[in-house]
Amino acid sequence: MGNLAENNTLHADLEPAIDIPSDNHYYLNMGPQHPSTHGVLRVLLEMDGEYVVEAQPVLGYGHRMQEKMGELKNWRAFMPNTGRMDYAAALQYNHGYVGLYERLCGIEVPARAEYIRVITSELNRIVSHHLWIGAMLLDMGAFTPILYTFDDREQVLDILEDVTGSRLTYCYFRVGGVCKDIDDNFIEKTRAFIKRQRERFDIYNDLVTGNIIFIKRTEGIGIISPDMARRYGVTGPVLRGSGIAYDVRKNEPYSVYPNFDFEIPVGQNGDSYDRYMVRLEEIEQSLRIIEQALDQLPDGPFLGKVPKKLKMPTGDCSFAVEAARGELTYYLVSGGGDIPYRLKIRVPSYSNLSVLPELCQGMLLSDLVAAMGSMDLVIPEIDR
Amino acid sequence: MGDQERGKLNVHSYSAELQARLERGAPGDFVVRDPGPLFKHKLADDIFNLCRANSLWPMTFGLACCAIEMMSLGMARFDISRFGSEVFRPSPRQSDLMIVAGTVNKKMASAVMTLYDQMPSPKWVIAMGNCAISGGPFAVEENYNVIEGVDKLIPVDVYVPGCPPRPEGLLEGILKLQEKISGVRHPFPQRKISDAPSY
Amino acid sequence: MHPATEKLISALQELSIQVDACDYQQRGYHFEIDLEADKLRSLAECMLAQEMFLVFVGGLHVKPAIEIVYQFASFERACRLVVRAAVKADNSMPTISDIYQGANWHERETRDFYGVVFTDHPYLKPLILAEEDVDLKPLLKKDEDLKETSEVRWAAPVEEKPEAEKAEQG
Ligand code: SF4
Repeated sequence: MGNLAENNTLHADLEPAIDIPSDNHYYLNMGPQHPSTHGVLRVLLEMDGEYVVEAQPVLGYGHRMQEKMGELKNWRAFMPNTGRMDYAAALQYNHGYVGLYERLCGIEVPARAEYIRVITSELNRIVSHHLWIGAMLLDMGAFTPILYTFDDREQVLDILEDVTGSRLTYCYFRVGGVCKDIDDNFIEKTRAFIKRQRERFDIYNDLVTGNIIFIKRTEGIGIISPDMARRYGVTGPVLRGSGIAYDVRKNEPYSVYPNFDFEIPVGQNGDSYDRYMVRLEEIEQSLRIIEQALDQLPDGPFLGKVPKKLKMPTGDCSFAVEAARGELTYYLVSGGGDIPYRLKIRVPSYSNLSVLPELCQGMLLSDLVAAMGSMDLVIPEIDR
Repeated sequence: MGDQERGKLNVHSYSAELQARLERGAPGDFVVRDPGPLFKHKLADDIFNLCRANSLWPMTFGLACCAIEMMSLGMARFDISRFGSEVFRPSPRQSDLMIVAGTVNKKMASAVMTLYDQMPSPKWVIAMGNCAISGGPFAVEENYNVIEGVDKLIPVDVYVPGCPPRPEGLLEGILKLQEKISGVRHPFPQRKISDAPSY
Repeated sequence: MHPATEKLISALQELSIQVDACDYQQRGYHFEIDLEADKLRSLAECMLAQEMFLVFVGGLHVKPAIEIVYQFASFERACRLVVRAAVKADNSMPTISDIYQGANWHERETRDFYGVVFTDHPYLKPLILAEEDVDLKPLLKKDEDLKETSEVRWAAPVEEKPEAEKAEQG
């Protein structure tokens, strides 16, 4: 923390305009088209041999004006956009957005709808972690695991596709409920998936967790201390890897999460390996939540009564959910009417990635890739 | 606050080339850069084209949501390698197919064009998803950042609509491209579905 | 109230900052603070000392001056705070990026979208927008849409429906 002032002078040097660095340092441009940046992140690196001296991420290559569009459209029209922000875990973004309006306008949601929401968004969380495990290992040069995780992922996508109608960018929740009821077929398939996924953990463990190369490449790499996490506002599995059990589902429970018995897995060292273990354990916890929710699933309507045109009171309202990557907060300022005056979207990866400049000082370039991969970045989510 | 003038993209200074391309719209004259076939001989050409169509090497180039579906296409279930295109290359210099999977915005535009220019001829482009075709959900009136259609920047061969298109959709796009290159759909047929062993 | 929250409130009151409690069920946060820009840095230091983390920094374009909204929360307990501060007359705001390093990017983003200058910010270059778009300020409202500050402040819904009491818990 102490050397921040020094860093900042370095930032100034890191401008793309080339000025020859002193001693043996050189500049390296990584991205925006780089296989390990998951899309379009660009990182300017100042290198000393193979060691990173300073890294400066450059964002904005995936900026899609989501906050601007939030101010132009009413909730029905903006709903599809929420699913396109973090496309790997779209349902949680749906959830935050509808929850926001329900809180602001005092709309009641039928119990069945809340259970369906929980089941589907936990399935979505699992899908997101599947994608992450595969992609991270792909970054580190292991091709095989992604084939396995994508295989599992397709199973869940089939289930979700049945009810939501799409594979990726869901727009399934509505203010007051969800747009389609789940049926016995869905429940049956979900139970079958839970069983299958539990068996698959053994494969993951054989293939990855105990793999000596994997351990060597992740243990002790990219350590985020709890203090650092607090200063940067890191949340989600990255934070839990550092040993802080912060989870919006427990801390400020929303929906029907208080009805379920689940744990928050935490790591100890805050390195890439812990983040991997936390996510793996989170899949298991999500399975537990889904199981309980399926058992308790009440009957009743799946969509409550909602006026055609919402009348929002003036004022502001905030709604936080635990998305797959951390705390997602929608903050809405309304001036009356049914279109928000301002919609601020706090996305988890934005704060998570902002650790990078401090995190990677003195790191090997190849470790930087492992550390960045372990953060689970989705760039269009960061840029919004 | 006087600077309310956002909206259409030509308001702001761009690199000259990008600006010119945006104004020109569909860039027809790019074909000139293509040196043309290796041999000016019909049979040789046909054979080359058959080979090219059967081994399209796409570039790993995910921009947004559609990229995930592009990844799915490469994985076990959809398995693009049945059609010879599984060799995703991270470098433009080794690839001949650019799948623009996602939203191109102003900041990204020059990178897209550079990548296109770096690819060796002959090269093809698939615009995957509504964003790459026309700006998709982001083509709103107040648009200040998203390029409404990648064909404003580079010539596009095949458009695959959808938001996102299903992997099968992209597969069909690749088959269409093969048809465009070699003149026949599906140049070397795989086994018929009826012959395939059932799993 | 959680003892740590009480401690936080009294620490803030020592800085002569007025803290108003809110109804979490309706607003989604527990306390709100309206602040002058000068006190911002001492507030941020107090927050860090009390182990709160910065959720986000965002802008809000209203008359007469742009407001910057800060949200803080706690890792350990349910405690969420919203701080609003109007920018100074010259469209500037003190930076808190040396206290909360996470604010660095948020402030750069706010500069991109609203053109607010954060004084003493170490590297106030465009983050999200391209270099050419420094002066775009896309999130500023058009004059006809611009509202007064009082028009976007919390006003409880007029007709209280009986079920409007209970938000969200299914
Ligand atoms: S077309 Fe739709 S799914 Fe594809 S990148 Fe655009 S918004 Fe995302």
